[in-house]
Amino acid sequence: MKPIFLTMAALAGLGISAMPATAQTELTYMMWGDPPEIAVWNQIVDEFEALHPNISVKVEIADWDSYWDKLRIQTVGGTAPDIFAMDAPIYPDWQSRGALLDLSPYLAASPEVLEGVYPGPLSTYQLDSGTFGLPRDMQTIVMFYNKDMFDAAGVSYPDDSWTLEDLSAAAAALTLDTNGDGRTDQWGISTELWDMEPFWGPVVYSYGASPISDDYTSTLVGEGAALDAWDYINTLYTSGGIMSDEDLESYGYDGFLAGVAAMTFSGHWVVPGYADLTFGWDIAPFPKGPASRATLVNSAGIVASATTAHPDEAVEFIKFVISEAGQTRLAELGFAIPVLDSVVNSPAYLDQPGAIDQTIFTDAVAYAHTKPSFRGYEEWSATVGDLLSEVWLDEMSMQDALAEITPSADEVLADNQ
Amino acid sequence: MHTRGINPRGGQKVWVWILLAPTLVGLVVGAVGSIAATFGISFFSWDLLTPPEWVGIENYTDLPGNRKFRKALFNTTMFSIMYVPATIVISLVVAVMLNRHIVGKSFFRMIFFLPVITSPTAVGLVWSWIYAKDKGALNAVLDVIGMEPVSWLGSKMVLYSVVIVNVWGAIGEGMIIFLAGSQAIPRDVYEAATIDGATPFQQFWTLTIPLLLPSLFFQTVLSTINAFQAFDYVYILTATSSGGSSMPTLVFQIYRDGFNFFRMGSASAQSVVLALVVLSLTLVYSRLQKRWGGE
Repeated sequence: MKPIFLTMAALAGLGISAMPATAQTELTYMMWGDPPEIAVWNQIVDEFEALHPNISVKVEIADWDSYWDKLRIQTVGGTAPDIFAMDAPIYPDWQSRGALLDLSPYLAASPEVLEGVYPGPLSTYQLDSGTFGLPRDMQTIVMFYNKDMFDAAGVSYPDDSWTLEDLSAAAAALTLDTNGDGRTDQWGISTELWDMEPFWGPVVYSYGASPISDDYTSTLVGEGAALDAWDYINTLYTSGGIMSDEDLESYGYDGFLAGVAAMTFSGHWVVPGYADLTFGWDIAPFPKGPASRATLVNSAGIVASATTAHPDEAVEFIKFVISEAGQTRLAELGFAIPVLDSVVNSPAYLDQPGAIDQTIFTDAVAYAHTKPSFRGYEEWSATVGDLLSEVWLDEMSMQDALAEITPSADEVLADNQ
Repeated sequence: MHTRGINPRGGQKVWVWILLAPTLVGLVVGAVGSIAATFGISFFSWDLLTPPEWVGIENYTDLPGNRKFRKALFNTTMFSIMYVPATIVISLVVAVMLNRHIVGKSFFRMIFFLPVITSPTAVGLVWSWIYAKDKGALNAVLDVIGMEPVSWLGSKMVLYSVVIVNVWGAIGEGMIIFLAGSQAIPRDVYEAATIDGATPFQQFWTLTIPLLLPSLFFQTVLSTINAFQAFDYVYILTATSSGGSSMPTLVFQIYRDGFNFFRMGSASAQSVVLALVVLSLTLVYSRLQKRWGGE
C-alpha cells in the first residue's frame, strides 16, 4: 500500500505539468503532396503545438491519386481525418454530401482570421449554406521558358507585351529536329490539353469567352468566341508546336523539365522541382489574347471533417495555417502562393531562393479567373477533357468534339443539380 | 475404412462442414454477398457519402444513351473478339508441342506459365517500356532494321498492343488446362490411329481436338470471362494523366464511374450488365458444347 500511495502522491505533485498530457487531443491532418513537404508541415505543426500544448497534430501525406481514394474510403468508413486538404473545384462535391464541418460559427466568433485573405480564392469556399473550408494556398498559371533554347534559336525572351500570336510564332521557331533524323525532338510547348487549368482555360478566357456559365448550369466551350480560341489552340497543336500526350508520356509528362520543350504553363508548384534544372529558365505572364490577358487561379483549401470528435481543436489548427505564422512557413516551402496579402508582400515569399520574379505569380491574381468550382466538377471536366483528348489523338475533328461536348457536359451538370 | 474417406458418414459429416466453414463463410459473404449488394445498389442513386436514393431501373435505362458506356462496351467486345481465339489457339499449340518428349519440356512449361503468376502491375510497367514510342525496346528494334517507329500505345495500335500483352499473360493458364486434358487421352488411341495410317496432322484434327473439346469449352468460357473483366494491364498501359484511359474497357469505366465520379448506382448497373453479357455467352457456349457432343 505504502509505495503505491507514495507514487500517487508523487504524481499528484507533478500534476500541473502532467495534466495537459492526459487531456491531450490528437488530430490527424491529411493532404496530398510530395514527401519533402512533410518536413515543412511538421515545422508548422511544431509551432502550432508550442502555442497549443494540449493538441498534437499528425501529418499524413499521400500522392494526388491515392489521396482521393484514401479520403473517400476513410470518409465512407467513418474514420475521416480530422482535418484535410481540399481542391477548390471539387469542394462543392464534398460539401454538398455533408462531409465537411461548417466553419461559419467559428469565423463569426473571430472574424479577424479572414483579414488580408485574398477575396477571390476565399469566395470559392463561402457558400450560401456556410463556409466549410478556407483557402490554404493558391496557384496562378504563368509561362515558364527555357532561356538556353530561346538563345540558341535567336528568339527574344517573352515579356508582358507578348500576345498569343507571339506565342505561336515562338513555338514554331522553337519546334526543331535538332539531330536531322526527320523527327521533332524539341518542341515549342509542353502542356496538358486535357484539364483547363494550365493552358486551354486561360486561352478561352483571353478570347473573351468562358468554359461554363457563371451559375454552372451550361457548358459554353462550344460557342461564340470560344470557337476562335479552339481554332487557335488546334492550329498550334496540329502544327506540332505542342507536345502530344504520347510524346509527353515518353518524357514523364513534363517536357520542360525533361529539357525537350522550350515553354510550359504551370503554377508555383513546379518551382522547387525546377530549381535543380541545369539550363537557364525564367517566367513571364500568360500571353495576352485578343480580348484581354487572362489566366486561372486555383486554391488548395483546408477543411475539417463533419464527423471530427474535436471540431474546436481542428478549427484552431485551420486558423493557425491561415495565420501569418503558418502562411510564412508555407511561403518558404515554395510550392504555392500564400493566401495572405501581408505574407505575399513579405521577404518570406518575395525573397525565395532562385532568380525569378515572384511578383509575376501574385500580379496574375488581378487578371486571373477563378477555376470553376461546382458539384460534379470532376465528372464535367472529365467529360470535356476525354472528348478533347480524342481531338488530340486525331480520332475526332475539333468541330465534332465540340458538338458532342456541349450536350454531354450539360447532362453532367443537370445530373448534379 | 480410411480408404473411403471421401464419403463421410454420420458424425463425420459435421466435421466436414466445420472444417469447410471458414472457406464457405468467406465465399458466401465475399462473393454471394457482393453480388447481391451490387444488384441491390444498381437500383439506387448512391454517392457513398449520403444515403442511397431509390431510382428504380433508371440506372439501366440510362445506359444505352451513355456514350462512355457504349464506347467501353465496344472496346471490350473488340478486345474479346481478338483475345479469346488468340489465347485458345496459341495455348493449344503450346500445349500440344509441350506434350511431347522434348528436351527441356519442364523448363518451357515453366517459362510459359511464369506470366500467369507474376504481378500484372510489375509486368505491365515492363511492357509500357517495351511499347514506349521514343525510348521503347520495340521501336529500338524497328530502328535497327530501318523501320519507322510505331506508336504502340497510340490510338491506332493500342487495342492490338493491349491484346498482345493480355494473350501473352494468359497462354500459361490455357496451356495447363490443355496439357491436363491431353494427358487424359489414352496413348493407345493414337497408337491405333498410327497403325491405321493416320498422319500426325489427321490425328490432331480427328483425335486430339474432339477429345479435348471439354477442355476447349472450359477454357473458352474462362477466357471470355477474363476478356470481359480485363482491367489490370489496361489500367497500367492505357491510363492517361487525366484519370481516363486511351482504351477504356467496361471494368475501367465501372471503376471510374464508381470511385472517381461518386456514381455507385450506375457503376453497379454496368457491372450487372457485364455479368449478364458473360452469363449469356457462357450459356451459348454450353449449348454449342451439347450440340457438338462435348458432354
